[in-house]
Amino acid sequence: MASLAYHCTGLLLLVAATGGVAACHTTPRGQAESTSVFTPARRTAGAAVKDFFGVRPKAVQPIAFPHDVHIAKGLACTEYCHESVTKGPIAGLPSVKTCLICHAAIATDRPIIQTITELESKGVDIAWQRVYGYAAEAHVRFNHAPHIRAGVECSTCHGNVGRQTVAERVVDLSMGFCVNCHKSKNASNDCLTCHF
Amino acid sequence: MDRRAFIKLSAVTGTSATLASCGSPENHLIRFVPDDEIVPGVAEWKPSICPLCQAGCGLHVRVMEADVDVTRNGQRGVVKMGVAKKLEGNPVHPINQGRLCPRGQAAIQITYHPDRLTHPLKRSGARGSGQFQEITWDEALADLMSHLDALAAAGDQRSLAFLTRPRRSRRHDLIALFLNRYGAPPPLTFELFGEDVLRRANAMSFGREQLPTFDLARSRYVVAFGADFLGTWNSPVSQNAGYGLMRQGRPGMRGKFVQIESRMSQTGANADEWVPVKPGTEGVLALGLAHVMLADGLRPAGAAGQAGAVIDGWSAGLSDYAPEQVEQQTGIKAATITRLAHELAEFQPAVAIIGGAPLAQTNGLFQAVAVNALNALVGSVGQPGGVFFTPQTSVAQAPPSTVTSSLDKVAADLLSAPRSPIQVLLVDDANPVFATPHAWRVREAFGKIPFIASFGNFLDETSILADVILPDHSFLESWVDARSESGAMVAVASVAPPVMRPLYQTRAMPDVLLEVGRRLQRPLNLTWQTFDAMLHEGVAALPAPASGDAWSAAQKQGGWWGEMVIAAPPTPIAKTAPVRFTEAQFDGAPADYPFHFLPYASQAFLDGSLAHLPWMQELPDPLTSAMWSSWVEINPKTAERLKIAPGDVVEIRSQHGSIRASAVVSPGLAPDVIAMPVGQGHETFTRYASGRGANPVSILAPVAESETGTLAWAATRVQISRAGGDNNQLILFAGEAHEHPYGHAR
Repeated sequence: MASLAYHCTGLLLLVAATGGVAACHTTPRGQAESTSVFTPARRTAGAAVKDFFGVRPKAVQPIAFPHDVHIAKGLACTEYCHESVTKGPIAGLPSVKTCLICHAAIATDRPIIQTITELESKGVDIAWQRVYGYAAEAHVRFNHAPHIRAGVECSTCHGNVGRQTVAERVVDLSMGFCVNCHKSKNASNDCLTCHF
Repeated sequence: MDRRAFIKLSAVTGTSATLASCGSPENHLIRFVPDDEIVPGVAEWKPSICPLCQAGCGLHVRVMEADVDVTRNGQRGVVKMGVAKKLEGNPVHPINQGRLCPRGQAAIQITYHPDRLTHPLKRSGARGSGQFQEITWDEALADLMSHLDALAAAGDQRSLAFLTRPRRSRRHDLIALFLNRYGAPPPLTFELFGEDVLRRANAMSFGREQLPTFDLARSRYVVAFGADFLGTWNSPVSQNAGYGLMRQGRPGMRGKFVQIESRMSQTGANADEWVPVKPGTEGVLALGLAHVMLADGLRPAGAAGQAGAVIDGWSAGLSDYAPEQVEQQTGIKAATITRLAHELAEFQPAVAIIGGAPLAQTNGLFQAVAVNALNALVGSVGQPGGVFFTPQTSVAQAPPSTVTSSLDKVAADLLSAPRSPIQVLLVDDANPVFATPHAWRVREAFGKIPFIASFGNFLDETSILADVILPDHSFLESWVDARSESGAMVAVASVAPPVMRPLYQTRAMPDVLLEVGRRLQRPLNLTWQTFDAMLHEGVAALPAPASGDAWSAAQKQGGWWGEMVIAAPPTPIAKTAPVRFTEAQFDGAPADYPFHFLPYASQAFLDGSLAHLPWMQELPDPLTSAMWSSWVEINPKTAERLKIAPGDVVEIRSQHGSIRASAVVSPGLAPDVIAMPVGQGHETFTRYASGRGANPVSILAPVAESETGTLAWAATRVQISRAGGDNNQLILFAGEAHEHPYGHAR
């Protein structure tokens, strides 16, 4: 009960915090496009409520990318598409330029590939949506590269993507999940290892 | 309202807000293909140069990926791009050695300022109304070129003027070259806190028309006359680094520092001994110290060489400057003068510094020459722990600019002539409408110029008068360069490529000049296609490093620096009549205007050109802790006599106007001096600075330093009166000055 009360009060305050910026954003004519000033508030009250309870919408990708087909062809995750994973904290999402490294020649008769080629010629990218990730309030600073260096398989945290078409969140990346693995591999469990 | 009511109210507001909300617009934006190869989450550090003052500190810019709002082919969208996230000092740069001042740290806000001009503008309303319409670059360039072509066709090239700041860089060389090829007079330069008096004095005393560099790290004794060298003057980061070493860098030896000034500055607050002096008598004190050294046989008169010879009465032992006489003029006790002179002579190496208000008196040149002579007598010129001149790279290709007429005379000519002597005015990085006394009538004078084009990033008091605005890139988006005049023992020619792609439809001013030069009906024959080619040529002419070429090395580390073999020795000094003491003249009779008015360069805004940066507005002043506001510093005794309490609104009136500001009662100035920071009081300068505070420069008297003709900004007298109670306009970070709990009569 106490917990519920805590949540309710917090929710109300959150709602209040968003109130000021909740109205539709319109850019007055003649003004510079980027006149927004940084604010920690959410765009909408709904977004604030959802974030507070950790409710996240299922990612809907603009193109149903078939991971299974690409992995079956023998492509490794870290080749081309998510190649930043070995270099830095973020794995990175490929731009359409990356798609066309192969698809300039392969499967060019498929409508979806033709769509991608057309996008690239217009200079427009695909707005992939994030599947995994932490809420900002978790203050988690995850870095991919050391995990890859330590030999952790991609599938440990992302499931067997080889059996998925569009990537889905199949592993619950809770703190318990991280801590268990860190314990088993004798990795640091200091708070500051992951949180800032 | 109690907590329960607040929560209830919040719930109601929140619910209505939820109903009004309409989803996040970002998700509907188009995402463009990025141009850069970026490793997300990994920072790259790139060199750049701080553009905010003449010091020319090297920057290290942290560049990481970000989603940037852009418009491509008329379509709004986002693109992933490597952008600047943080500015730090460049660790290998000889001026700032990895450090950076708070102003430099805040410079990043120029690039991301919400009120930056994002595309070319054409005036659509009356001049000064602030009504502009967006135009394309083709239209903007065509407009500018048609005016330049029309002048050239009429044989009236001398009616083109270019107004900028006096800075040493290839960018300014290009401006001078453009004007020279076109047939126009050299650039018109203006800087409120300009240093022409000190340059002239150094030319007379030492044969170097240049700002001095101080080897503070090896000094044991420093005496500064009004120079805020740890805050805003000359090359502050370099001087801070040296000062730190002087005080704490040598075990067992802590250098002594004496500050002599009329109002306690941030630098003065650091001194071991702070000596208040009557405004305009600093030079008298310097010669008083020299007199004691000569009279007590601590130094021979000949030791000062040329620097002594330019002072009237030097060889006769400065008989007019005995401590008792100096006490009468300066208000400093004769015993103190004698003691300081002995300390200065005995603690070696020692150095004297002059800058700021003492040079902005009508007798500024005398004061500077007097301190130069003191330095020469002590033996600190060119010696470790003394005063040096940074070697200059001889990469300047533009013809040396002949004497530029000063802005007050230009304004007077504009106002008196039936046909404006300036038909086309180009303005870059200068805002004289704000930073000149209203008595100069610059705004009115500019109103008579038929065509004004500005290269400004922001709408300020000057660019709002423009007919066309061709906005420049921010410095982080451009090729930048600077030749540091002072602050290092080696020659420094900083240069750096852009650290990020431009965010908006802006163009680099030097590239615009080159393009205009090519496309005029009579092309100007400027050899370079782009500004970076010009920079390349300059750096390639410098001695190459041991391995590799100078240009690649310079781009990588942020510039070229090293020993410079000066081809020609400094020009010998023309023999001039010895400089005689003249009493400083002040505008306003002491009976009617009893207070010396001392505007000073603000720690946050310098001359006001940084007031648009919110981090700088938010920076508490080091001495008063005031921010986001204007204030006037008044001595406690004066405040008590005039019944002014801290925070009260005070009217300050000179013969040329009046302003109002909140009172800060401060013991750090004499009862007959009031002081006010420059920088606030903008009418037009973005959402953060417009309509905030008052501008002390506006009420200054149009009085000039008698020899050089530069504005004597410390030579105005004012009267003050309490104009009202506390209006809550003064924002203090730390409440009152608790160490000095004065009783205030209400």
